[in-house]
Amino acid sequence: MTVESLIPAEVQERVGTVAAVAVGEVYRRDWQRWAVSVEDHNPLWFDAEVARAHGYDDVVAPPLYVQYAVLGVTPLDGLRADGSSGAVSGSLAFPDAPRRMAGGESTTFHRPCYHGDEITMERRIESIVQKQGRSGPFVLVTWRTTYTNQRDELVAEATTSMIARP
Amino acid sequence: MSERTGMPTEQLHFEDVAVGDAIPTLTTTVDQTQMFFFSAATYNGHRIHYDTSWASDREGYDDVLVQGPLQSALLARAVTDWIGGAGRLVSFSAQNRAVAFPGEELSFGGTVTATRLADGRGLVDLEVVGRRGDDVLMPGTATVELPVRAQSSTAAGS
Repeated sequence: MTVESLIPAEVQERVGTVAAVAVGEVYRRDWQRWAVSVEDHNPLWFDAEVARAHGYDDVVAPPLYVQYAVLGVTPLDGLRADGSSGAVSGSLAFPDAPRRMAGGESTTFHRPCYHGDEITMERRIESIVQKQGRSGPFVLVTWRTTYTNQRDELVAEATTSMIARP
Repeated sequence: MSERTGMPTEQLHFEDVAVGDAIPTLTTTVDQTQMFFFSAATYNGHRIHYDTSWASDREGYDDVLVQGPLQSALLARAVTDWIGGAGRLVSFSAQNRAVAFPGEELSFGGTVTATRLADGRGLVDLEVVGRRGDDVLMPGTATVELPVRAQSSTAAGS
Protein backbone atom coordinates (compact mmCIF):
# COMPACT_ATOMS: atom_id res chain seq x y z
CA MET A 1 0.00 0.00 0.00
CA THR A 2 1.38 3.37 -0.96
CA VAL A 3 0.95 6.12 1.59
CA GLU A 4 0.64 9.61 0.14
CA SER A 5 3.41 11.87 1.32
CA LEU A 6 2.23 14.78 3.44
CA ILE A 7 5.64 16.46 3.11
CA PRO A 8 6.18 18.73 0.11
CA ALA A 9 9.55 18.09 -1.58
CA GLU A 10 10.67 21.69 -1.14
CA VAL A 11 10.00 21.40 2.60
CA GLN A 12 11.87 18.08 2.89
CA GLU A 13 14.91 19.71 1.27
CA ARG A 14 15.18 22.18 4.14
CA VAL A 15 16.28 19.51 6.65
CA GLY A 16 19.68 20.48 8.06
CA THR A 17 19.29 24.16 7.25
CA VAL A 18 18.72 27.06 9.60
CA ALA A 19 14.96 27.57 9.72
CA ALA A 20 14.97 30.74 11.74
CA VAL A 21 17.20 33.21 13.51
CA ALA A 22 15.65 35.63 15.96
CA VAL A 23 16.96 38.19 18.40
CA GLY A 24 15.05 39.49 21.37
CA GLU A 25 15.52 41.25 24.66
CA VAL A 26 14.71 39.61 27.97
CA TYR A 27 12.25 41.90 29.70
CA ARG A 28 11.35 41.53 33.38
CA ARG A 29 7.72 42.57 33.00
CA ASP A 30 7.21 40.12 30.15
CA TRP A 31 8.58 37.12 32.06
CA GLN A 32 6.56 38.14 35.11
CA ARG A 33 3.40 38.22 32.97
CA TRP A 34 4.34 34.77 31.70
CA ALA A 35 4.99 33.51 35.23
CA VAL A 36 1.68 34.74 36.65
CA SER A 37 -0.17 33.15 33.73
CA VAL A 38 1.36 29.87 34.95
CA GLU A 39 0.58 30.92 38.56
CA ASP A 40 4.30 30.50 39.17
CA HIS A 41 5.01 32.93 42.00
CA ASN A 42 8.59 31.80 42.63
CA PRO A 43 10.36 34.78 44.27
CA LEU A 44 13.46 34.24 42.11
CA TRP A 45 11.44 35.68 39.22
CA PHE A 46 9.98 38.59 41.24
CA ASP A 47 12.06 39.54 44.28
CA ALA A 48 15.62 40.80 43.73
CA GLU A 49 16.48 40.44 47.41
CA VAL A 50 15.56 36.76 47.43
CA ALA A 51 17.38 36.20 44.14
CA ARG A 52 20.55 37.87 45.46
CA ALA A 53 20.36 35.81 48.65
CA HIS A 54 20.58 32.75 46.38
CA GLY A 55 23.63 33.91 44.46
CA TYR A 56 22.02 35.68 41.50
CA ASP A 57 22.81 39.27 40.52
CA ASP A 58 19.14 40.21 40.32
CA VAL A 59 15.76 38.62 39.60
CA VAL A 60 16.09 35.98 36.89
CA ALA A 61 13.76 34.83 34.15
CA PRO A 62 12.09 31.45 34.65
CA PRO A 63 14.24 28.95 32.68
CA LEU A 64 11.45 27.97 30.27
CA TYR A 65 10.79 31.62 29.46
CA VAL A 66 13.89 32.09 27.26
CA GLN A 67 12.10 30.68 24.20
CA TYR A 68 9.55 33.51 24.37
CA ALA A 69 12.10 36.33 24.71
CA VAL A 70 12.90 36.10 21.01
CA LEU A 71 9.37 36.13 19.63
CA GLY A 72 8.94 38.80 17.00
CA VAL A 73 5.78 40.48 15.84
CA THR A 74 3.58 39.31 12.98
CA PRO A 75 1.11 41.59 11.22
CA LEU A 76 -2.41 40.25 11.77
CA ASP A 77 -2.89 39.78 8.04
CA GLY A 78 0.31 37.69 8.03
CA LEU A 79 -1.06 35.06 10.40
CA ARG A 80 -2.07 31.65 9.13
CA ALA A 81 -5.78 30.90 8.82
CA ASP A 82 -5.61 29.11 12.18
CA GLY A 83 -4.27 32.27 13.80
CA SER A 84 -0.77 30.93 14.37
CA SER A 85 2.40 32.70 13.31
CA GLY A 86 4.98 30.55 11.57
CA ALA A 87 7.88 32.93 12.10
CA VAL A 88 9.84 31.12 14.79
CA SER A 89 9.46 27.69 13.21
CA GLY A 90 10.65 28.92 9.82
CA SER A 91 7.24 28.99 8.14
CA LEU A 92 7.23 25.34 7.13
CA ALA A 93 4.04 24.74 5.19
CA PHE A 94 2.25 21.39 5.02
CA PRO A 95 -0.84 22.06 2.89
CA ASP A 96 -1.96 18.44 3.25
CA ALA A 97 -1.41 18.43 7.02
CA PRO A 98 -2.69 21.78 8.28
CA ARG A 99 -3.63 20.80 11.85
CA ARG A 100 -0.61 21.66 13.96
CA MET A 101 0.21 20.80 17.52
CA ALA A 102 3.27 21.15 19.71
CA GLY A 103 5.05 17.79 20.05
CA GLY A 104 7.59 18.01 22.81
CA GLU A 105 10.51 19.99 24.09
CA SER A 106 13.79 19.04 25.70
CA THR A 107 16.01 21.83 26.96
CA THR A 108 19.33 22.07 28.78
CA PHE A 109 19.82 25.31 30.69
CA HIS A 110 23.37 26.61 30.96
CA ARG A 111 23.01 30.02 32.60
CA PRO A 112 20.28 32.35 33.81
CA CYS A 113 18.77 35.24 31.84
CA TYR A 114 18.56 38.69 33.38
CA HIS A 115 16.51 41.74 32.47
CA GLY A 116 18.13 43.47 29.52
CA ASP A 117 19.96 40.42 28.17
CA GLU A 118 19.82 40.17 24.41
CA ILE A 119 19.18 36.62 23.29
CA THR A 120 19.89 35.21 19.86
CA MET A 121 18.05 32.08 18.84
CA GLU A 122 19.23 29.90 16.00
CA ARG A 123 16.89 27.10 15.00
CA ARG A 124 17.89 24.30 12.64
CA ILE A 125 15.58 21.73 11.13
CA GLU A 126 16.89 18.41 12.38
CA SER A 127 14.35 16.12 10.74
CA ILE A 128 10.98 16.00 9.00
CA VAL A 129 9.43 12.53 8.94
CA GLN A 130 6.02 11.09 8.23
CA LYS A 131 4.69 8.60 10.75
CA GLN A 132 1.63 6.46 11.14
CA GLY A 133 -0.32 7.05 14.34
CA ARG A 134 -3.44 5.43 15.76
CA SER A 135 -5.59 8.08 14.10
CA GLY A 136 -3.72 8.13 10.78
CA PRO A 137 -0.58 9.59 9.25
CA PHE A 138 1.13 12.67 10.64
CA VAL A 139 4.28 14.69 10.08
CA LEU A 140 6.83 15.05 12.88
CA VAL A 141 9.18 18.02 12.58
CA THR A 142 12.16 18.26 14.94
CA TRP A 143 14.26 21.39 15.45
CA ARG A 144 17.56 21.95 17.29
CA THR A 145 17.76 25.38 18.80
CA THR A 146 20.48 27.32 20.58
CA TYR A 147 20.04 30.46 22.66
CA THR A 148 23.06 32.69 23.27
CA ASN A 149 23.31 36.01 25.07
CA GLN A 150 24.99 39.31 24.15
CA ARG A 151 28.34 37.96 25.45
CA ASP A 152 28.06 34.96 23.11
CA GLU A 153 27.55 32.71 26.12
CA LEU A 154 25.34 29.68 25.55
CA VAL A 155 22.19 30.16 27.64
CA ALA A 156 20.20 27.12 26.59
CA GLU A 157 19.98 24.37 23.98
CA ALA A 158 16.69 22.82 23.00
CA THR A 159 15.22 20.09 20.86
CA THR A 160 11.59 20.79 20.03
CA SER A 161 9.08 19.05 17.84
CA MET A 162 5.80 19.79 16.12
CA ILE A 163 3.13 17.44 14.83
CA ALA A 164 1.09 18.27 11.72
CA ARG A 165 -1.99 16.21 10.82
CA PRO A 166 -4.24 16.13 7.75
CA MET B 1 -6.96 27.72 39.48
CA SER B 2 -4.44 26.25 41.89
CA GLU B 3 -3.43 27.48 45.28
CA ARG B 4 -0.42 29.78 45.31
CA THR B 5 2.51 27.66 46.30
CA GLY B 6 5.82 29.38 45.63
CA MET B 7 8.96 28.17 47.30
CA PRO B 8 9.03 25.98 50.38
CA THR B 9 10.47 27.66 53.45
CA GLU B 10 13.08 24.96 54.12
CA GLN B 11 15.75 24.63 51.43
CA LEU B 12 15.94 21.10 50.05
CA HIS B 13 19.47 19.62 49.97
CA PHE B 14 20.98 16.84 47.93
CA GLU B 15 21.22 14.64 51.04
CA ASP B 16 17.46 14.95 51.62
CA VAL B 17 16.64 13.15 48.39
CA ALA B 18 16.53 9.42 47.60
CA VAL B 19 15.59 7.38 44.55
CA GLY B 20 11.86 6.70 44.61
CA ASP B 21 10.95 9.93 46.42
CA ALA B 22 7.93 11.72 45.01
CA ILE B 23 7.92 15.49 44.63
CA PRO B 24 4.82 17.34 45.87
CA THR B 25 2.05 17.15 43.26
CA LEU B 26 0.75 20.38 41.80
CA THR B 27 -3.00 20.07 41.16
CA THR B 28 -4.72 22.73 39.09
CA THR B 29 -7.70 23.32 36.84
CA VAL B 30 -6.88 25.55 33.90
CA ASP B 31 -9.70 27.89 32.87
CA GLN B 32 -10.12 30.08 29.80
CA THR B 33 -8.95 33.21 31.63
CA GLN B 34 -5.62 31.56 32.41
CA MET B 35 -5.41 30.27 28.82
CA PHE B 36 -6.04 33.79 27.50
CA PHE B 37 -3.24 35.25 29.62
CA PHE B 38 -0.85 32.46 28.69
CA SER B 39 -1.54 32.96 24.97
CA ALA B 40 -1.03 36.72 25.44
CA ALA B 41 2.24 36.19 27.35
CA THR B 42 3.53 33.86 24.64
CA TYR B 43 2.20 35.86 21.65
CA ASN B 44 0.20 32.81 20.63
CA GLY B 45 -2.63 33.57 18.22
CA HIS B 46 -3.53 29.94 17.52
CA ARG B 47 -7.35 29.84 17.34
CA ILE B 48 -7.44 26.35 18.75
CA HIS B 49 -6.90 27.89 22.20
CA TYR B 50 -9.70 30.51 22.12
CA ASP B 51 -12.03 30.00 19.15
CA THR B 52 -14.45 27.22 20.13
CA SER B 53 -16.04 26.90 16.70
CA TRP B 54 -12.59 26.68 15.05
CA ALA B 55 -11.52 24.02 17.54
CA SER B 56 -14.67 21.94 17.04
CA ASP B 57 -15.79 22.55 13.44
CA ARG B 58 -12.38 22.92 11.81
CA GLU B 59 -10.18 20.70 13.96
CA GLY B 60 -12.67 18.23 15.40
CA TYR B 61 -12.07 18.73 19.14
CA ASP B 62 -14.76 18.90 21.83
CA ASP B 63 -13.58 22.28 23.05
CA VAL B 64 -10.62 24.66 22.88
CA LEU B 65 -7.35 23.03 23.95
CA VAL B 66 -5.13 23.90 26.89
CA GLN B 67 -1.80 25.01 25.41
CA GLY B 68 0.86 22.28 25.49
CA PRO B 69 3.50 24.85 26.57
CA LEU B 70 1.23 25.87 29.49
CA GLN B 71 1.11 22.25 30.62
CA SER B 72 4.89 21.96 30.35
CA ALA B 73 5.31 25.26 32.25
CA LEU B 74 3.08 23.88 35.03
CA LEU B 75 5.12 20.67 35.06
CA ALA B 76 8.37 22.66 35.32
CA ARG B 77 6.80 24.77 38.07
CA ALA B 78 6.14 21.63 40.13
CA VAL B 79 9.90 20.98 39.89
CA THR B 80 11.14 24.53 40.57
CA ASP B 81 8.74 24.88 43.52
CA TRP B 82 10.26 21.69 44.96
CA ILE B 83 13.96 22.55 44.52
CA GLY B 84 13.72 25.96 46.21
CA GLY B 85 15.77 29.07 45.59
CA ALA B 86 19.16 27.36 45.87
CA GLY B 87 18.22 24.57 43.47
CA ARG B 88 18.73 24.87 39.75
CA LEU B 89 16.87 23.38 36.81
CA VAL B 90 19.60 21.80 34.67
CA SER B 91 17.43 20.20 32.00
CA PHE B 92 13.77 19.65 31.34
CA SER B 93 11.98 17.56 28.76
CA ALA B 94 8.26 17.00 28.15
CA GLN B 95 6.19 15.38 25.42
CA ASN B 96 2.60 16.21 24.51
CA ARG B 97 0.78 12.87 24.58
CA ALA B 98 -2.86 13.88 24.78
CA VAL B 99 -4.95 17.02 24.73
CA ALA B 100 -6.48 18.69 27.78
CA PHE B 101 -9.55 20.90 27.92
CA PRO B 102 -10.29 23.84 30.23
CA GLY B 103 -12.18 22.90 33.39
CA GLU B 104 -10.42 19.57 33.81
CA GLU B 105 -8.41 18.92 36.95
CA LEU B 106 -4.79 18.27 36.00
CA SER B 107 -1.94 17.13 38.21
CA PHE B 108 1.80 17.61 37.76
CA GLY B 109 4.35 15.66 39.73
CA GLY B 110 7.46 13.55 39.58
CA THR B 111 9.63 10.85 41.08
CA VAL B 112 13.37 10.75 41.73
CA THR B 113 15.03 8.19 39.44
CA ALA B 114 18.74 8.79 40.18
CA THR B 115 21.05 10.90 42.31
CA ARG B 116 24.75 11.50 41.74
CA LEU B 117 27.59 13.77 42.76
CA ALA B 118 29.47 15.14 39.76
CA ASP B 119 32.39 17.52 40.38
CA GLY B 120 30.88 18.41 43.74
CA ARG B 121 27.47 19.14 42.21
CA GLY B 122 24.49 17.28 43.61
CA LEU B 123 22.49 16.18 40.60
CA VAL B 124 19.06 14.58 40.77
CA ASP B 125 17.22 12.99 37.86
CA LEU B 126 13.45 12.93 37.85
CA GLU B 127 10.73 11.33 35.87
CA VAL B 128 7.98 13.93 35.66
CA VAL B 129 4.41 13.63 34.45
CA GLY B 130 1.29 15.69 33.83
CA ARG B 131 -1.94 13.75 34.24
CA ARG B 132 -5.71 14.06 34.09
CA GLY B 133 -6.91 11.45 36.56
CA ASP B 134 -5.02 8.32 35.54
CA ASP B 135 -4.45 9.51 31.96
CA VAL B 136 -0.87 10.53 31.17
CA LEU B 137 -1.04 13.75 29.17
CA MET B 138 2.58 14.79 29.39
CA PRO B 139 5.45 12.50 30.35
CA GLY B 140 8.93 13.93 30.72
CA THR B 141 12.21 14.02 32.56
CA ALA B 142 14.18 16.64 34.42
CA THR B 143 17.58 17.00 36.01
CA VAL B 144 18.08 19.43 38.88
CA GLU B 145 21.06 20.51 40.92
CA LEU B 146 20.61 20.76 44.68
CA PRO B 147 22.98 22.29 47.23
CA VAL B 148 25.18 19.69 48.95
CA ARG B 149 25.02 19.95 52.74
CA ALA B 150 28.09 17.83 53.52
CA GLN B 151 30.17 19.95 51.19
CA SER B 152 29.18 23.33 52.59
CA SER B 153 29.79 22.16 56.18
CA THR B 154 33.20 20.76 55.16
CA ALA B 155 34.10 24.01 53.50
CA ALA B 156 33.01 26.00 56.53
CA GLY B 157 34.47 23.65 59.16
CA SER B 158 37.92 22.71 57.84
